Amino acid sequence: MEEALEKRLPKTEDLGAMTEESLKAAFAGESQAAEKYLVWADQAEDEGYPNVAKLFRAISFAETRHARNHLRVMGGIGATADNLLAAFGGESFEVDEMYPAYHSIAKKQGNNQAVRSINYALKSEVDHKGMYTDAREQVLDGKDVADQQVHVCLVCGHTVIGDAPDKCPYCAAGKELYKTF
Amino acid sequence: MTESYKNTPPAPEDKGAMTAENIAAALAGESQASQKYLAFADVADAEGYPNVARLFRAVAYAESTHARNHLSVLGGIGTTAENLKAAWGGETFEIDEMYPAYDAVAELQGNESARVSIRYALKAETDHQDIYDTTLKGIEGEKDLDDARVYVCPICGHTVIGKAPAYCTQCGTTAEFFKEF
Repeated sequence: MEEALEKRLPKTEDLGAMTEESLKAAFAGESQAAEKYLVWADQAEDEGYPNVAKLFRAISFAETRHARNHLRVMGGIGATADNLLAAFGGESFEVDEMYPAYHSIAKKQGNNQAVRSINYALKSEVDHKGMYTDAREQVLDGKDVADQQVHVCLVCGHTVIGDAPDKCPYCAAGKELYKTF
Repeated sequence: MTESYKNTPPAPEDKGAMTAENIAAALAGESQASQKYLAFADVADAEGYPNVARLFRAVAYAESTHARNHLSVLGGIGTTAENLKAAWGGETFEIDEMYPAYDAVAELQGNESARVSIRYALKAETDHQDIYDTTLKGIEGEKDLDDARVYVCPICGHTVIGKAPAYCTQCGTTAEFFKEF
């Protein structure tokens, strides 16, 4: 699959600034469409439309392919060590700047649900930042991380390597609400 | 945080235009992070780091939960009929405005790779627009879609209901690579 893509969609060295801007916006659009369709698939299932749910999931996958193609052309897919550094950078920005700024505004405007959504994300991004730092150290030594399950709370995104806790420390969801990877 | 808030995603709350703007930006950020991590997971697998790949997939899922929470705060999770209308609207904007404009810029700047990535997406969005239109008509009569399989080309996102074509009509990929839903 990667070879087929390399042939058809080679990375571009000199994108053109306006083309780069277009691809960035298209990547943002496709990524959001993919996420929305997954959520709407769950909603369709709840309403008793399993085939509409399936359709939303399929189209979400299609948007994932578009997002990846755009990312690829922009040169956003590197070697794993580079990808871990980029991932760490993104998490750090969210932890250090983005979510604290959004939190203070939401609090000032009294939007409690927004505060809650921001807190859930901010707390898990701190976990992710640490995990990416550790993983990068291993990969720079040519080593994989340890073969352990990873558990993710499906309510708030709390991420833990190894066993799921009995209760999510961030949102109090029970163990059964963790997804195993 | 009151007890009743726990274990459930945040609810819609329309309070503060700046907060809405920030939550929309956070939805964009989380969606993009999720897509990047899924792409990075495949690279890690290809480089022989299956456990780093698992970490990326788990964290991608965590970011999806954040995206869903933000979408919920924004009131972006409606009934299936509303969701299909919103999905149709998004596809229509991409087809009528966004991708043609981006293609014009990429053509002007002579970026062939970007043009391929844009063309793949644009063509598949036309499939999606059609499918959402038909599906919405069914749902308005409270009828689920027929129980047929959906096939998606992993290279260009071409989406077909029923049976995968021998060759992808958009990019030539053969039937066995199509992902089945």
